[in-house]
Amino acid sequence: MSRPKVQFSDNEFIEGLRAGDNIMLAALYKKYYNIVLKFIVNNNGSEEAAQDIYQETVIALYENVRKPGFELNCQLQTYIYSVARRLWLKQLKKNGKTFLFKEEEEEELADVNEGMAWHEEKEIHIQQMNKSLLELGEPCVTLIQDFYVHKKSMDEIAEKFGYTNADNAKNQKYKCLQRLKKMFFEKQ
Amino acid sequence: MRSTELFDDYQNGLMSEAERRDFENRLGNEPILKKAYEEHLQLIQTLKMTASRNQLKQQLKDVHAESFGGDARLFSMKGQETFAKKHGKTIAVAASTALIAVLSTVAALSTGGYLLKQQSNQITDLNRVVMELQASNTAIVEGITRNNKKIAYAPANLEGSAFALNNKGYILTSFHMVKNADSIFIQNKNTERTLAKLIMSDVKLDLAVLKIENQELIQNWQVPFGIKDKVTDIGEKVFTLGYPRNEMVYGEGSISSLSGYSNDTSMYQISIPVNPGNSGGPVLDEYGNIIGVIRGKISGAEATGFAIKAAEIIQSINALATDSTKKDLSLQASKRTTLKNLKRSEQIKRINPYVFNVLVYKKD
Repeated sequence: MSRPKVQFSDNEFIEGLRAGDNIMLAALYKKYYNIVLKFIVNNNGSEEAAQDIYQETVIALYENVRKPGFELNCQLQTYIYSVARRLWLKQLKKNGKTFLFKEEEEEELADVNEGMAWHEEKEIHIQQMNKSLLELGEPCVTLIQDFYVHKKSMDEIAEKFGYTNADNAKNQKYKCLQRLKKMFFEKQ
Repeated sequence: MRSTELFDDYQNGLMSEAERRDFENRLGNEPILKKAYEEHLQLIQTLKMTASRNQLKQQLKDVHAESFGGDARLFSMKGQETFAKKHGKTIAVAASTALIAVLSTVAALSTGGYLLKQQSNQITDLNRVVMELQASNTAIVEGITRNNKKIAYAPANLEGSAFALNNKGYILTSFHMVKNADSIFIQNKNTERTLAKLIMSDVKLDLAVLKIENQELIQNWQVPFGIKDKVTDIGEKVFTLGYPRNEMVYGEGSISSLSGYSNDTSMYQISIPVNPGNSGGPVLDEYGNIIGVIRGKISGAEATGFAIKAAEIIQSINALATDSTKKDLSLQASKRTTLKNLKRSEQIKRINPYVFNVLVYKKD
């Protein structure tokens, strides 16, 4: 006997993402992947490209939804399709390809400019930070993340990294942070 | 004091009232300091934003791998494959010897940091600790074919058993297994490895309820066993199924006492030899009703296991269920007859798909 799959409404998805509900995030991810996959593959993209574009789409949606004041003015599916389409267009342009999209006939398009402009600006900063972190290397990255992201104390950090005391750890953190700062702002 | 330390202390609220006022005055009067402070804030904010973004990305990758196959926690087998082919048998034998050696040490030593009433240090948790075996395990992990690629899973840190509670994908296991888990997977012959989420846990009784996320996998579930909440009598025949190894293992015996270690009335003592990996497995009576779940054994004592009574399980789960889970998971004692008149081997065939090997990956 087969039972019906769980179906969530657009509203339930939005509320779930807003609350940071991982189950809803996963359910949403599963639900709309095929739509984006089909679109990308029909438009000169590989399955891998589809996966990348789709993941960025879901991230853009997730982060926009969690911004205060976000309202969904169309169907969730339309929003996702529109975002993925925009991201894929951008990617093709970046690779110097001009391309006439084979549109999915049944799909409508929504205006996602505002949210996407915000996402793209954020994306630039994140890429700069990721590049800087890569250059910065270990143990600096972990040390800085332990302090600023994971909120560990200097004593804990000293112990973890084998510094003799918190002051030594502080010195090290200072040096790492100065380097990171230089790298990060050089890229702006 | 360096300015970044001032910034951190100010941000983290570590300044005294006077220091704080002084710092704020300086920000007002020293444009260079103010600019440095703003840059610092931007840097730290971007750092945090990047960290949560990277985490989100990884999460989506995991979801993708889980739902559509392909990557993340899997690693390619290339190197090991040829190595294993060449030395397959030797490695397997060597590894199983190592396995037995490690397991007996674990069984003898482990108290697992888990406390069961006061005397818990004498009860042994029965999860298989796999960590020590990574080196040999990688060589012998079962290769499976998906997308025409030979892939193998990273060895789990802990393994144990679990069984289905209902047709909606809820499964029961031991809490000590899944404590501090980063991710939990379940698998058996019928169900390919899939992610399970921790839904609720009862630390005192050592129970945890997991849920299979992938709805498709449970579409055709028809859990064949009922749950019996009446106390089973001493001497009654019982059996268990579990995963002390990668293969399902059957064990049988009888109820030897109506209380567990140190007269704990929430448990039965059973005369079934249980081993690491049996933790979380079901104990069933002759008719195929669940009468308990394997909890542990006395260190050193052979053929003496403890099982948490089904009545306790029902009570615990119904007490813990939240509004959102109540709908899908209110447990009621129910005897089902689907297994009643079957031979043991037939019973097992039907129970098999609903008993799982649990694989737990710990944080760090």
